[in-house]
Formats: sequence, structure tokens, C-alpha cells
Amino acid sequence: MQNVLTYLSLFLTILVMQGQTQPASDANAAAPTKYEKGMQEAFGLWKDNHPWEAANMFVRIAKAEPDNWLPPYYVALINVVYSFGEKDKSKLSEQLAKAQNFINDATALSPDNPDIMVVQAQLYTAWIVFDGQQYGMMYSPKASGLYEKALAIDPENPRTIMARAEWNIGSAKYFGEPVEAYCKDIERAMKNAETHPTKEEFYPRFNLERAKQVLAENCQ
Amino acid sequence: MKKSVLYFLFGILPSLLFSQTVISGVVKDNKGIPVMGANVYLEGTYDGSTTDDLGKFKFETFEVGKHTLLISYVSFEPYKMTDDVGKMNNLSITMREDVNSLETVTISAGTFSAGDNSKISVLKPLDIVTTASAVGDFVGALQTLPGTSTVAEDGRLFVRGGDADETQVFIDDIRVFTPYSPTALNVPTRGRYSPFLFDGITFSTGGYSAEYGQALSSVLLLNTIDEPTNDKTDISIMSVGLGLGQTKKWESPSAESWNQGRSLSVNAAYINLAPYIAIFPGRNDWKKPFEAFSGEAVFRQKFKDGLLKIYSAYENTDFELIQEDINYPDGIRFKLNNQNFYTNTSYSRLLKNGWGLFAGGSYTLNKTKVEIDEADIKDGQNSADLKLKFKKHFSNHFKLNFGIEQLLTDFTEDYRETSLSAKLGFNNNITAAFTEADIIFSRKLALKLGVRGEYAQLANEFSISPRASFAYKTAENSQISVAYGDFFQQAENEILKFDSALQSQHAQHYIINYQYAANNRIFRVEVYWKSYSDLVSYNDSIPNLNTQFSNMGSGYAKGLDWFWRDNESIRNFDYWISYSFLDTKREYKNYPTQATPPFANKHNLSVVGKYWIEDWRSQIGFSYQFASGRPYTDWNSPGFLEKKTKSYNSISLNWAYLISSQKILYASVNNVFAFRNVNGYQYANTPDANGYFASRELLPASDQFFMIGFFWTISQNSKDNQLKNL
Repeated sequence: MQNVLTYLSLFLTILVMQGQTQPASDANAAAPTKYEKGMQEAFGLWKDNHPWEAANMFVRIAKAEPDNWLPPYYVALINVVYSFGEKDKSKLSEQLAKAQNFINDATALSPDNPDIMVVQAQLYTAWIVFDGQQYGMMYSPKASGLYEKALAIDPENPRTIMARAEWNIGSAKYFGEPVEAYCKDIERAMKNAETHPTKEEFYPRFNLERAKQVLAENCQ
Repeated sequence: MKKSVLYFLFGILPSLLFSQTVISGVVKDNKGIPVMGANVYLEGTYDGSTTDDLGKFKFETFEVGKHTLLISYVSFEPYKMTDDVGKMNNLSITMREDVNSLETVTISAGTFSAGDNSKISVLKPLDIVTTASAVGDFVGALQTLPGTSTVAEDGRLFVRGGDADETQVFIDDIRVFTPYSPTALNVPTRGRYSPFLFDGITFSTGGYSAEYGQALSSVLLLNTIDEPTNDKTDISIMSVGLGLGQTKKWESPSAESWNQGRSLSVNAAYINLAPYIAIFPGRNDWKKPFEAFSGEAVFRQKFKDGLLKIYSAYENTDFELIQEDINYPDGIRFKLNNQNFYTNTSYSRLLKNGWGLFAGGSYTLNKTKVEIDEADIKDGQNSADLKLKFKKHFSNHFKLNFGIEQLLTDFTEDYRETSLSAKLGFNNNITAAFTEADIIFSRKLALKLGVRGEYAQLANEFSISPRASFAYKTAENSQISVAYGDFFQQAENEILKFDSALQSQHAQHYIINYQYAANNRIFRVEVYWKSYSDLVSYNDSIPNLNTQFSNMGSGYAKGLDWFWRDNESIRNFDYWISYSFLDTKREYKNYPTQATPPFANKHNLSVVGKYWIEDWRSQIGFSYQFASGRPYTDWNSPGFLEKKTKSYNSISLNWAYLISSQKILYASVNNVFAFRNVNGYQYANTPDANGYFASRELLPASDQFFMIGFFWTISQNSKDNQLKNL
């Protein structure tokens, strides 16, 4: 009975929509490459609220650029993000199975990548949110484990710090435990985002707006 | 002329080079319904589009010549066509549904699956520990499912009119020979193994796969966890004992390494009923209350495309008591010591071209020393099961499994009494081969066909068991399945030790099942007919060295099983109701005539509910078990098994309180209202002066059972938010 109710670490983690905003391609005075055009188009579709079209575009890029982990990463991310709140189990499991395939593809191209681990953790969270009683016990230790592993690889990654803090806030609130430590994590993530900005184009980015919102909602 | 041609070509070429080809069409499913949201693109290019709500797509490409157009959408098989891009306009494409999807019919006759790996599960892994009447025992949780009979004094699984010996237990598809802990008479047993080691449980009440043999009625398949989630320590302090568990995980050094991670879990438990019995003495007169020490270890090694699991368990049980007996005013002294070692090793790997390999084996060493008054009995059992199987995935529509199995049992008994001593035993080898095909015609129609052949060395007997099941989807959320199967099983050790030449016992199952599952609600109803032949019968009340045995027994069981689970209608409330109707009679053992055996109840009802109270971080559970009376023979009236005990009732409650995410306080009470249940009657061997046989009620050792426990998990990975709270 050891684990009996570990499942009760069920809580909502709301997602950081990384990378949703398209970075300005400042370096490009020259004509954008096919890849750049494709990625920009995909982000554009996502921004215009056509996430599934965006996901399809990312799938096409993933097939055409078999050595780049970013397109499969975004396919997985979109499928995970839009699984939150999905009530139809067969639809949910199909979406998450698709996400899992693309996470596997991305992981094969870029092992030990904290951003991919975070999406994997969020995939588990989507199951927990769907049915905490059934999936909480199974997936919540897996999700926690992934956040810790991601942080061990890159302790200063603001996106990982932020995602884990949100997960922990959900848990702490549920058990009526203090959340200050996690609020500090968020502040630290915001600071790190300034000192460690993402340089590469189309790389997942820190969502500052989201961080401010979480702080305002939980840390007053 | 030449000039003009060249001129023409040069003039037109630039526009050819830069002109775009339009690719367009419409995508529908096989019913003609437009597929919206499908990804349509030229393989290896960025050119593509998504179908609209009419299934239409249109995009432009600069590509020329032959290309492959790919269309993909979840729950459909990917569509491919290779042609000149110039011809790819106004296409009309029909996509084929993917039979691997959730919507596909499942073969469900006779089978209950628990856990995440099944498409439809009636029990969730947690139910095993949160079902009020189960007290953490997976067998206890399964007893709330239809098809099982309530035999409160035994604790094992009695399925559809079958004796408990007719149910076999498998861990990772390898046979477990001694799955239950030994207990005293009238004290229900428990499964030996910790439910936390398993992430999948399939309980089949009939018509099961050709892979499993030597089970007349039922199989219980337990699958161990492939990969633990993280390092952790589990501590449990219970009113009946202590437990300690430790899991350690070693990650893979790199994605390229042959070693893709390994882990080791070790559990130890110590159970001692002495303090409990001091407070709640019960009806038994204990000289040495039940004491058990058990340890389990699981090692798992992941390879690039394989997995090795080694599971070992050891248990030592001791107790001594004076059992009440109508023939002996001072009771009968009963002392038991049991040592049990079990190990199970399996290796599975994926080979090329859709082939898969599984090799596994188990070994059991079971030693029991029993003292009954002056008799001294020493039993030793060495058993092994070796299995090798292959599977081949030809397509999503056709899969094949086949394999071979060797079962070995070496049993010895040393019986000593002042006036009698005997050495008994046998050596039983069974060789089996099986094959099974899964044919999925469409999402609506699936067929499983199998056959198992067995050669039993002791009886020099060869048997063939055909098995078949078929499922048809009647509507989006409902389906009908039917199953047929032949099953053979050798007599139990207690018989084989006297007569090892007995033939296998035989059963045939016919099952029809209807299932509806949608929105966290499951409804199942199943009717079955089972016929028994070649059952072991004998001419003495208790088998002994001089007993004559034969395979003359026969019988039948028929009935209806009904199940309803609903986790949707009431917020935070999850409940299920199981009802079984059973009509069974058999003539076997020393029965003078066909009769309903004492372990069969006509009506069985279980109601289990769990209510989650958010504000209290508590789950309150209850379960109600009802069973109509079981037959017994009244020695003071004519007839055999002609009378029935009164019906059985029990209401159990439990409460799990979550102190923090890793600390749980748990309390449960079985039979809260202390219904006085009677399991049967014992009659005196000789009548009194008036020719009347005195009798006594067989009552449970205690009417109620209380349990309180504190369970604490320390996980290294969550130290930030957990350890600081210690």
C-alpha cells in the first residue's frame, strides 16, 4: 500500500507556450532559406490560431529535415498543449500517442535535451488532468523525475525552472503547503531569461508574460 | 525549323522552370465522409496543406516529375501515391481506417483487464489497494468482479463453478506454482506478491488464449513493471506488521550504449499477528500467532531492443494453533512452517521484420512442515516452467504467436505417525506447444484462433485444445464477443501423490459477451456454459494409499455475469456493481451423485464505491458483498449437499487520508456491522445414543478485521518539495 495515494499529487500544470512567438530573424538580410520560410509559416499559422495546420506544417518540415529536432519537438508540443481539456478519451489518446512518437523522434536526434523532457512531463500531466485517479499514481512520479533530470542537465535553463515551478505550485496548493520557494524559482527563471536569452532561431523561448501571470496568480 | 523549335523551347522554358503545379483533391473515409485536418504533402518537401471541413485540399509546388504524395491523419492508415506531380489534381482519395486505433473492436469474452495497457480496463491499478474489502490484496480486489464466488474461509479465486485449483496464476506469462500464502483452516489466504510490482492485471474467467494451459476455469495474468519511475524508499507501519522497500535506478550512459538503463527494487515485509490477536482474540486458540517474513527483489535491464527481468521472492511462514473440532473436545493441534522461494526470469526482444522473441522461466521451491496432533508431514515441491515464444506482425490485420513450453514438477511427501509412515511423491513433466493467430478484418470484426497441444508424461497422454474467439462491433461503443475453448488440467498434487497415472481433467467453455463502454462507464453482460468431463473421483472420504481413483467425474456450470462501472455520473464518486448467477453441479471426488459443490453460491453481488473528498484530501471507500447460501450435507437428514447455509453479508469501509503527497494514513474495517456469517457445518463422525449426529457451525476466525497503517514514500527526485517537510 506504500504508494496508495501518491496519485493524489494530481494537479493542474498550465503550460508554458514556448516558442509560440516567432523570433525576429535579425541576422537575415539575405533571402530566408526554405527551412526558415517553412518554420515562419508554421509559427504564423499557430499564432493565427490554426494550431493543427501549424502542426501539419511542422510534420512536413520534420520529414524534410530528418536531422533537426525542432520540427518534431513542435509537433509534439502542439499535440500536448491542445490535449489539455480534451474530454474524448480516444481523441486524447490518439493525440498523445502522436505527440509521444514525435517526442521519441526528437529525443533520438537530441538526447538529454531538457526542453524535450519538459514536453514529455507535460504529456504525462495531460493524462493526469484527464483522469487523476487512474493516471496520477503512474505518471506524476514520472513527470517529477523528468523535471529533476532536466534541471540536473542544465540547472540554469529558465524554461525548465519555470515549468517545474508551475508543476510544484500545483502540487503544493493541493496539499496546502507553502508556495514561496516556487515563486522564488519563477523569479529566478525570469532573471535567467534575461541573462541567458535564446540566440538560435526557432529555439523554444521563455514566455515572460506567462511567468508574470503565474506570479500574479499564486504569489501575492 | 530547328531554330524555331529552339526558340520556342527557350521562350517557354523559364515559365516551365518557375511555374507552379497545383495539387488538389478531396479526402474521404470509406463511408464517404470528408476527412478534415488531414496532412497532405509531397514527401521530402515543404509543400503541402491541410484538408478543410469538406475534406478538400489544394496547394502549389515547384516540384516536377515523379513524387510521392502522402496523406496522414490520426486513426487512419497513411495514404501514399507516387506519380507525376502534373497528374495530381482533382484527386479523390479514400483513406483506410487504422485497425490499431482505440476504436477497433477488442476480443473481450471472458476477459477482464486491469491497468493502463488495455484498451478497456474494468479495474484500475489503484483499485487493488483502495477497494475496501481487499485490504491490499489483488486477489481480494478481483473477488469483487463477476464470475467469482464468495468463499470467505478460503480467500482464493473460485471462478464459475470451478474449484480454486482450476485458476492458474502467471507472472509475465510464466506460471506461478504456489501463488498463495499458507494459512490455518477458516482463515482466508492472500496472494503472496505485492500488488505494486504489477502494472497490468488480466483476469480471464474463461475462453482464454492457447498460450495458457493446465487451468480448467480461469487464468490470472500479472505483468511486472518494465521500468520504475525513479529512486524511492517506501516505509509502511501497519497494525499487523512492517514493510520497507527500496528502488534504485541507473540511467543509460548514452543513447548509443547497449545498456539502456537498469534498476533494482527490493522489498521486505514482516507480518506478526500476535499484537493484533492480543487485542482482538478471535475464535482461534493460537499457540503461536501467524508470523511471516518475506522479501522480494526485481532486477530489470533494458537493452537497445530488449528487456531482461529477474524477479525473486522468498517467504517464511510460521504459526501454531489448536483448532476446534467436533470429534475432539480438546481440539486438534496444527502447526505449520512454510518456506517458499520463487524466481521468474524473462527476456523479450524485438527482432527484424516484425518478429518478436520471448524466453522465460520460473522455478519454485516450496517446503512445508505440518504437524497435526501426532502426525508429522513434510512436503517438498520443486517446479519449473520454461517457455519460448515468437510473434510475427505480418500487418495490422494479421499477427501470429507461437511457442513451446515445458512444465516440470517434482513433489515428495514424507508422512510420519506413530503407527504409520509413508513416502509419497511423483515427477510430472508436461510438454506443450501452442500457436495463435489474430485476424483483424476491420475495426468492426476480429477473430482469434488458437490451438494448444500438450503431452503429459505421467499419464502418457496427448491432448489437443482448440480455442477461438470472435468479436463484432455493433455500434460505436458496444460490441458482442463469443468464445469457445477446450481446457485440460492434471489432478492436483494432493491426488497425484497417491495415483500418478490419472488422465487430465477436461472442460469446455462457451461464452457470449456484450459490452458497452463510453465516457468512463462500462457495462458488460456475459452468459456461459461450461461442461466438465474426466474429473477425478475416488472411493474414500479422504484419499489415502488404498484409495481407488478414476477419471469418471463430470459436471457443468452455466450462468450469467453482469458488471456495471460508472465513474462519470457523480462527481468524485466511482462505483461498480457485479452480479453473478451460477448454476453448477458436478459428480467428482467421493460424491455419490451430481450435486452443487460447497464452494458454489447461486447468487453473488458486490457493490464497491469510492468517494474522493477534496477538502479532506481523503478517499472514503465502501464495499458490500452478498452471497446466497452454500450447500452442505446434513447428516441427520437424507441426501447429499442438500441443505444451504444462510446467505453471506459483509460491509467494509476504508479511509485513506493524504497527509502530504507522500504520506498516507490508511484505516479499514471489514464487516463493519459484524454480520455473523456461517461458512458451513461440521458433523460428528459418530452419532450419539439417539442416533443423532452432533454438529457445529464453521465460523470465521473473527467476524471483523481492523487495519490501520501509515505509508510513507521518500522519493529522491522530489526532495525539494518533500524532504523539507519531514
